[in-house]
Amino acid sequence: MRRELTRRALLAGTGAAALSAVTGCATGGVTNREAVRLAPGATTPVKGAITVWSWDSAAVALTRLAKKFTARNPGTRISVVDIGYENAADKMTVGLRADTGLADVVTVDGPKMPGYIGNFPQGMHDLTPLVKPFTGDFDRAAWQTVTSEEGRVFALPWDIGPLALYYRRDLFEKAGVDAASLKTWDDYVKAGVALKKKTGVKLLIMDPAEDSFFACLLQQQGQRHFKGGKVALATPEAVRALELLKAIGDRGLIRWERGWDGQVTATKEGKSATLPTAAWWSGTLTAEMPELKGKFGVVPLPAFEPGGARTSNQGGSTLCIPAQSKNPRLAWAFIKFLLTDKDNQVSMLKREGLFPAYLPALKDPYLNAPQAYYGGQRAWKVFADLAPHIPPVEYNKDGAKAGDIAQKALTGAVLRGNDPKRQLRDSAEQLAGATGRETVAG
Amino acid sequence: MAVQTPTAPAVRAPDRAATAGRRRPRLTHWLFTGPATVLFTVFFAYPLGASFYQSFTSTENGKTTWVGLDQYTRMFQDPSFLDSMVNTGLILVVQVPLMIGLALILAVLLNQSWLRFRGTWRAVYFLPAVTTLVAYAVVFQVLLKTDGGLVNQAADALGLAPVDWLNDPTWARISLIGSMTWRWVGYNAVILLAGLQSIGREQHEAAAIDGAGTFTTYTKVIFPQLRPVILFCVITSTIGTLQLFDENYTLTRGGPDDATLTPVLYLYKVGFQQMDFGYAAAIAWVVVAVIAVISFLQFRFFGRERKR
Repeated sequence: MRRELTRRALLAGTGAAALSAVTGCATGGVTNREAVRLAPGATTPVKGAITVWSWDSAAVALTRLAKKFTARNPGTRISVVDIGYENAADKMTVGLRADTGLADVVTVDGPKMPGYIGNFPQGMHDLTPLVKPFTGDFDRAAWQTVTSEEGRVFALPWDIGPLALYYRRDLFEKAGVDAASLKTWDDYVKAGVALKKKTGVKLLIMDPAEDSFFACLLQQQGQRHFKGGKVALATPEAVRALELLKAIGDRGLIRWERGWDGQVTATKEGKSATLPTAAWWSGTLTAEMPELKGKFGVVPLPAFEPGGARTSNQGGSTLCIPAQSKNPRLAWAFIKFLLTDKDNQVSMLKREGLFPAYLPALKDPYLNAPQAYYGGQRAWKVFADLAPHIPPVEYNKDGAKAGDIAQKALTGAVLRGNDPKRQLRDSAEQLAGATGRETVAG
Repeated sequence: MAVQTPTAPAVRAPDRAATAGRRRPRLTHWLFTGPATVLFTVFFAYPLGASFYQSFTSTENGKTTWVGLDQYTRMFQDPSFLDSMVNTGLILVVQVPLMIGLALILAVLLNQSWLRFRGTWRAVYFLPAVTTLVAYAVVFQVLLKTDGGLVNQAADALGLAPVDWLNDPTWARISLIGSMTWRWVGYNAVILLAGLQSIGREQHEAAAIDGAGTFTTYTKVIFPQLRPVILFCVITSTIGTLQLFDENYTLTRGGPDDATLTPVLYLYKVGFQQMDFGYAAAIAWVVVAVIAVISFLQFRFFGRERKR
């Protein structure tokens, strides 16, 4: 008898197959399996090909140094792809979730790394045994972003973003304000009022869709969104940070600009007198606004109280090896070559403006040289001196949630006029609800 | 021949053998339906099933567990989600009637015989709907920027105070509604115009002979006949509003303070930025349910001809 393939049988069959595929994918796949550890051992020369994802000037640096690497290691091939900063995080998330489609080496925004480590602990190669010899060589605050809550290391920090205050020398002169006298944020707000009165220019640029500066102000006071695993959005430090931003906003000193391009254009057009931002901003200034040469200066960030920390951290990036990589040995060899070599690190600072998290590179004489762009000021030295003082802070997997809710608090207080204390209490409650965490008392 | 037993029943009693024969699928059947079936299964049925399953799970520290309805109950205590629903409700109540009304007026105007360059006008009004998102975003940012935006420059020239279009919660909502209307009004007008053109010239003449003015002709004769087309526009616009993402993503990212957040934008943030996939899937299914219920209600209350 011939077995008939009836429609019903076929439907039942495909249904069952689909269901098992669904459950199989949702419960198995990348999520419930062991982490892949990459250990030292093999000493045979690396070979084969890898793909590396990065963006902008970082991709330029990688392309340049990949040539040097492949020349030294015959039989290797490295292709660098500039995936663009805006897409990078989404691509990483989707690639980790789908367990396919990622490059062998991926550049990840430093503060976003804890989220990937926490949510996809099996998604990246565990580099703990490999990085042991370099533990002390990297900035502590950056090291914190690549280390899991259990102390395993999943990436190497590349550049960091020590914060300082960029200011327009010409505008400060016109308003009769001495940048060196800005010791506290109170001084800063007062100077902002004077600057606006005398020059008509606003004090700083902020993006209403980002919470990054608020997070910087938290880190300056030694915390981010969490403390001891608990939600720390309503701490006195957080209230102080939001009150500061509201004070600046209420005085009409904020120039609101959306996105990276908005910030670049407004700076180029001289629409703000200062910008409290990271060392990597220097690369954008010199590359995109050479006509403003000699107009900028850099001073340490104002503190919340006299004697307080004069810096914080914004952004910075790390390099990791997704667990999907077919050639993790070559990937690691390339990362090691890039990031644990003083000459390479210094060359990336010189040429692409990437401020190294690798401490030995910060001792290079180049950092002491006066820079023509800053009117002969030793600008890199300001950042190099500040870098070791970046307060290391606690991160966890819920950083993105916290960032979204903090951004909402920021716009609620500064744009909607809500009371910062009450706003932050509500935000802390929302974050606690969304993450199942407790709130820090206070 | 008054009474007669019908010899041929309207529905033929199924002949077992014949049915079995018909049911036996032939290779040609699968040849024709196969590609579509495979594509549907892989790209539609499977993701749908997977996301439905996912909405009952939670992934913590890389471990996925079954959590039942937790993700759904969570929504009712999530201020951001509730805000997004309120915003959607507001847009539905204000924007959809506004846009359909404008589209109707436009369609009537475009249908006038005295109008010259009709094809050009239609194309001009339809253009925003096919504009790429990037261009759309750039144009509106340039128009609505607080400092130096074109709208504020114009206001300044007229002696009006500048408006914080995208940073003030109320103005941000107005900007969003305005930009959505700009983008979709022409699209709906073209659909309504097609409906208008199917209504013959003689109806206008008949109404005129009966003594109806232009206004009465439209409200009593033309628009009632346009009802199915209007319903189509209302339902597709409603669904579009409930799935709103592009406009507020490019204009405000849902801010300030969630004033322009919509469920789908929130879903994107929860899933792709916060990596909370189970919760994102649950939000998606709630959006589906809301769309189904609202569309059903619209069909039920507006789709039916009124009994005479």
